[in-house]
Amino acid sequence: MTSAESSLAAGAAVKRAPAVHRKRFPWRTVGMHAIIIFFCLIVLIPIAWVLLLSFKSLRDAYTGNLWPEQFDFTHYAYVFQKMPTVLRNFSNSIIVTLSTVVVTTVISILAGYALVHTRLPGAAIVGAALLATLFFPTRLVSIIGIFQFQFRLGLINTLPGLILPYITLNLALSILIMRGIFQQISPELVDAAKIDGASSWRTLREILLPLAANGIVVVGMINFVTAWGEYLLARTYTNDKLMQTFPVALTSTFSSYGEWAMPRVAAMYVMAIAPGILAFAILQRWYMKGLQEGALKF
Amino acid sequence: MSTVTAPRTVGKPKRSLRARYRDWGNWIYLLPVLFFFVVYMAYPILKSMWMSFYDYQYLSNSPASFVGLKNFVNAIKDPIFLTGIRRAFYFTILFLPGVILIPLFLAILVDRVKNPRLATLYRLILLLPAVIPAAMIFVLWRWLYDFEIGPINVILRDYLGLFNRFNAPQWVGTSPLSIPAVAFVEIWWGLGYHTMFFLAGLASIPRELFEAARVDGSNEWQTFWSVTLPRLQPIMMILVVLRFGTAMAVIDDFMIMGGLNRAMPTYTWTVYMWHLAFSLGSWPHGYAAAIGWLGALAMLVVVAGLLYVFRNRD
Repeated sequence: MTSAESSLAAGAAVKRAPAVHRKRFPWRTVGMHAIIIFFCLIVLIPIAWVLLLSFKSLRDAYTGNLWPEQFDFTHYAYVFQKMPTVLRNFSNSIIVTLSTVVVTTVISILAGYALVHTRLPGAAIVGAALLATLFFPTRLVSIIGIFQFQFRLGLINTLPGLILPYITLNLALSILIMRGIFQQISPELVDAAKIDGASSWRTLREILLPLAANGIVVVGMINFVTAWGEYLLARTYTNDKLMQTFPVALTSTFSSYGEWAMPRVAAMYVMAIAPGILAFAILQRWYMKGLQEGALKF
Repeated sequence: MSTVTAPRTVGKPKRSLRARYRDWGNWIYLLPVLFFFVVYMAYPILKSMWMSFYDYQYLSNSPASFVGLKNFVNAIKDPIFLTGIRRAFYFTILFLPGVILIPLFLAILVDRVKNPRLATLYRLILLLPAVIPAAMIFVLWRWLYDFEIGPINVILRDYLGLFNRFNAPQWVGTSPLSIPAVAFVEIWWGLGYHTMFFLAGLASIPRELFEAARVDGSNEWQTFWSVTLPRLQPIMMILVVLRFGTAMAVIDDFMIMGGLNRAMPTYTWTVYMWHLAFSLGSWPHGYAAAIGWLGALAMLVVVAGLLYVFRNRD
C-alpha cells in the first residue's frame, strides 16, 4: 500500500468522524502544512530567483533590486545567436549525457537481471562487491589513474573520454537499483516463461522489462542528472574550450561583464536545468513509483 | 544483504556438472559491466596505489623510483593535508545531521498529508533540486551568496536593513562562514531526495502498528520513539554511513565555490589532492595518489567503525 493510498483511506475515515471533531479549528493540520510549505519555498525561491534574473535588464541585474524595473527578454536569443562556443558546449553535453544514460541503463538492466533471475555462480559476491564500492571514494582515488591511461590512448579532450568514465560513476548504484526492482518480480513468472520454452534473453525482453519500467526511469534519471552536470572529471579530462561540457563552461564565467553578463549566464543556466526539470515533470509518475517499488531498498 | 540471489533448486536436488558448467554462461550478461569495473575502477585504483610508493612526477622526464612509504610519511607531516582533513571533517559534522534529521522530520509531516494531490505536489517540489545537476547547484548558490548583488545579502542589507555595505556577512571566499554555507547548500540539495528515502521507509510500516500504539494510549512523541524510529533505523543507518563517505570526499562544491586557493577555508584534502595532481609543480602524481589513499583509508576506518556500531544485533 503506498502512502497515497493509505492517506486516501484515512481521508475516508475522517469524513465519517463525528461532527464534534469537524468544528474544532485544525491547528495541527494547518501547522503541518505551514511547515511543509516553508520548506517548499526554501526549495523554490532560489530557482525562481535565477529564472527572474534571466529576464532582468543588464542594469537591474547589477543593482540590488529583487524585482526588476525593466524586463529584457532578449538574453535567450542572444546566447543562441552571439555565442557559438556555448552552443558547442551544449551539444557536447547532450551527446555525453545521452550516451551515458543509454549505455548505463542497458548494461545495468542486463546485470540486474542476471543477478536475480538467472543461476549465476558468484552472484552473492558480485552483489557484496557492488555495495562495497558505494562506501569507497572511487571517483577520487581513480581520477589520476584514469587520466594517465586516457592520455596515453588519446582520449583527453574527446567526448568518449568523458562518456566512458561517466558510465562507471553510477554503475554500481544503477545495478543495485535494477536488482532491487527485479527482486520484486516473482521468480515463478520467470520459471513459467522458461517452461514455455522462452530463452533467458526473451524472458528478459518480453516479460521482465515491461514490469521493470518504473525502475528503469529511476536509473535513467539518476544517470541523466550525474552526466548532465558532472564537473570534476569534465574539468580534469578536457581543457579545450570547444570540447568542454556545458557545466564547466558555465562555472568558469562568474560575474563577468559583456558577453558573459549575469542575465545571459542566467539564461544559459535556465536552459541547462530545464531539460532535467522537464524530464522529471513528464516522467514523475513512473519515477515516484520506481522509488516506492524498491529503488530505495538495497 | 538480501538472499534472493541464492540458487533456486527446482526439481532435482543435485544438478549435473554440465548444467552447473552452463550456469557460467550467464556471466555473459555481466561482461559489459565487468569491462567498466575493471578498466575504469579496479585498474586505476590499483594503479594509484602502486604510484603512491613511487616519487612519480607526471611532467618530469626522470624515471620514477621506488620510495617505499616516504610519500605517506610526508603526507602525515604535511600541514596542508592535515588541515584539509580537519576541514572536510568539520564540513561532515555540519552536513550529516542536517541531511538526516531534517528530511526525517519532513517525511513524517508529508506522510500525514491526507489530500493525495497535495501529497504528490509537495513531493514534486521537494524533489526539484534532485534533478538539478551538482555543478548547476553550486553555480546558483555562488550567485545567491554573492557579497554585493547576491539576493541573500540584498535582502539582509537593503530590505531588512540588518547590515550595511561594510559589515554584511561574507558567505563564501576566505570567510569562516564558507564551510557552513557550503554545508547548507548540500543539505538543500539533498533535502527532497532523502525525504523520499524516509517516505519509502514510512510507507512500509504496517499501519496497524500506529493504530495499536494509539489504542494503547501513547501520544505522538511516544509513537515516534517506539514505532516509527525503530522501523526507520535500518534506512537511517545506511544513509548515515553513505553520506559520511560522500561528505568527507566532497570536492566539486569546494572547487566551484572556493577555487584552488590555499587561503580559502574550502581548500580541503580533496582539493589539495586534485591541485597537486593536475596543477601544481610538475604534477607529483605519486604524492597525490598517496594523499588520496590516506584520505580514503581514514574514511574507511570511520565507515567500518560506524558499520560495526550499527551492526544488526538481532
